[in-house]
Amino acid sequence: MMETTGQILLVEDNEVNRNMLTRRLERAGHTVITAPDGETALSVMREKHPAVVLMDMNLPVKDGWTACQEAKVDEAIRDIPIIALTAHAMEEDKARALAAGCTDFATKPVDFPALLTVIAAALNAHS
Amino acid sequence: MRTADVVTQLRPRLSLRGRLYLFSGAILILFAINVAVSLWGSFARNESSLAYQEAVTAAQLTAELEQNLQNKRQQVLVLATLRETTDDPLEDSQLDQARADLDIIAERLRQLGNYGGEDLEAYYRRLHDSTTTLIEQWRQFYIRYNQTGSTPSVEDARSYNNAQQRLRELDQRQSFIAVQRATAIDRTITLTDQITVVGFISSIAITLALVLAMIRSTNASLTRMKRGVERFGSGDLTYRIDEQRDAGEIGDLARTFNEMSTKLQTAIEEMNTARADADSANAAKSMFLANVSHELRTPLNAIIGYSEMLQDELSDETELNREQFHHDLATIILSGKQLLTLINDILDLSKIETGKMQVSFEVFSPATLLVQVCDALSPLLTQNKNTLVLNIDKDNMRDMNSDRGKLQQIVTNLFSNACKFTQDGQITVSAFMNEQALTVTVADTGIGMTPAQQARVFEAFTQAEADTGLKYGGTGLGLAIVREFCTMLGGTIEVESKPNEGAQFRVRIPVDPA
Repeated sequence: MMETTGQILLVEDNEVNRNMLTRRLERAGHTVITAPDGETALSVMREKHPAVVLMDMNLPVKDGWTACQEAKVDEAIRDIPIIALTAHAMEEDKARALAAGCTDFATKPVDFPALLTVIAAALNAHS
Repeated sequence: MRTADVVTQLRPRLSLRGRLYLFSGAILILFAINVAVSLWGSFARNESSLAYQEAVTAAQLTAELEQNLQNKRQQVLVLATLRETTDDPLEDSQLDQARADLDIIAERLRQLGNYGGEDLEAYYRRLHDSTTTLIEQWRQFYIRYNQTGSTPSVEDARSYNNAQQRLRELDQRQSFIAVQRATAIDRTITLTDQITVVGFISSIAITLALVLAMIRSTNASLTRMKRGVERFGSGDLTYRIDEQRDAGEIGDLARTFNEMSTKLQTAIEEMNTARADADSANAAKSMFLANVSHELRTPLNAIIGYSEMLQDELSDETELNREQFHHDLATIILSGKQLLTLINDILDLSKIETGKMQVSFEVFSPATLLVQVCDALSPLLTQNKNTLVLNIDKDNMRDMNSDRGKLQQIVTNLFSNACKFTQDGQITVSAFMNEQALTVTVADTGIGMTPAQQARVFEAFTQAEADTGLKYGGTGLGLAIVREFCTMLGGTIEVESKPNEGAQFRVRIPVDPA
C-alpha cells in the first residue's frame, strides 16, 4: 500500500521559513527532517534515505542545483524524488531545476495545498 | 605591354588628367612630325618639277639659238654669193628684216643667260662673247652690203665655229647639270618618301603603345579601386586601397574611399558598442527583475506561510500556544517590514532615475544619527555573528545642515551591506568632522571585491557577480541609491577593497549645502 506520510527532508537555509514549513508539514501528518545547506542535505539523504526531498535552490556551502546533480549520480540515493522549492519563479528557473534532475518544481510563496499534492504525487511515483 | 610597365614605373604618380595630356601631346607631336615630313617631300617634288621645266626651256632656247645661227649663216653665205654674181643691192625691207633677225638672236642669247646660275656662268660668258662678236660681224656685213665699191666680207669663219663650239659646250654643261640636279632631287624624294613611310608606321606603333599604356595604367588604377570597393562592400572595412600608387583624381578617389571606409568602420563600431550597451542594460534589467521577484517572494513566503499556519492553528483551539502565536506574528511583521524596505528601495531608485527625488535640508546632530542607526541595525549585526566597533570623534562633531533622511539611508545601506557580506567578522563605523565635511567610513572584514567588481559596484541593477543576489540577498540597489544620495548632498563616496579581506566605503558629506 502507498505510504502517504513518509519521511520528508526539508533543505532550507532561512530559519524562519524552515520552521514555518516544518510545522505545517508536521500538522499535515508528515515526518520532517531538515538540513540547512546542500552538503548536509546529501549526507542526510545517504544516512536517512527520506521518501522525498524539498530542496531550496539558493543554499550556502553547496547550492541546490549542485546537490541535485550529485544526488542523481549517486546509486544509493538517485531514486529519491527531489522537489525544487524556490523563490526563483521564472520559466527558465523551472527549466534549470528540472535539468539539474529535480522531479518537480514549486515556487515561494508556497501554495501549501498544491505542495501537498506535489509531495503525494512524488511519493506515489516513487513507491 | 612592356611599354605600359615602363610608363607605369616612370610615372607612377601621374594623375589621370596628366596621363591624358601626356598622351594627347605625344600624339600631336607625332602628327606634326608626319605633316612636316610630308611638306618637305612635296616641296622637293615641286623643286624637281621646276628644275625640269627650267632644263627643258634652256635646252629649247639653246636649240633655237643654234638653229637661228645656222639659218642666219646660210642666209649670209647666200647673200654674199649673190652680191659677187649679181651685184644687186638689198632692199630696205630686207635690211630691216635682217636687223630684226639679228635682234631676235641677241634676245635669245640674253634669255639663255637667265637660265643656269653660277655653274653655267663661265660657259655662258664665253658663248655670249663669241656670239656677240659673230652678230656684230653680221651687222657689219649688212651695213656694208649696199655700199658700192666694197665687198662685204662674210664673217670670220672662226667666229661662227667658235660660237657653235661654245653653244655646244653650254648645251653639254646644261645637260650635265640637269642630270645632276635630277639625281639629287630624286634622292631627296626617295628619302622623304622613306621617312614618310617610316614615320607613319612608327606613329601608328607609338600611338598604339601609348593607347595600350594608357589603358593599362588607367585600368590598373581602376582595378585597384574596384577591388577595394568590393572588399568594402563585402564588409572588410579594415582594407585600404593603396592611395600612394596614384596621383590626382584617382588618388583622391582612393583616399575618399579609404576615408569613407574609416568613417563607416567607426560608425559600425559605435553602433555595435551602443547595441552591446543596450543589450547589457537589458540583461541587467532582466536580472534585476528576476532578483526583485526573488526578493519579494522571500518575505512574502514567510508572511503568507505563517498567516495560513496561524489560521489553521486558530481553528484548532487545543493547539493554541500564546507565546508561540506572539512570536509567529512578530515574524510576519518583520517580513512585512523587509518587504516594505525593498519596495521603498525600488521606488527611491525609480524617483532618482526620473529626477523626482527631493532633497530637504535641516540642521541635525550627525553623531546622534550615527548612534541611532547602529542601534537600530544591531539585529542584522548578530545575524552573521559580527561585532561592531563604533569610532565617532564626538568632540569635534557639530550640528550640520543636510538631508537627515538621506544621510540615515546612506549609513543604513552601507552598514547592512557590511553585515550581509561579512561572517564572524568585525564591522567598524568611524566618523569625524572638519570645517567643510563630515566623513563616515564603514569598514568590514568580509568577502571583499576584485578591482573589476569595485568599478561597477555603484551601478544600478548590478551586483558583484550575477548570483551575488542569490547568495547574499539584496537587489543590487542599495549602493546605487547611496551614490545618488551622496551626489545630491554635494558629497562623494569611494571604495577600497581586496577580495577576501573586506571592503571599506568612505562617504564625505558637506557640513553646509554649497
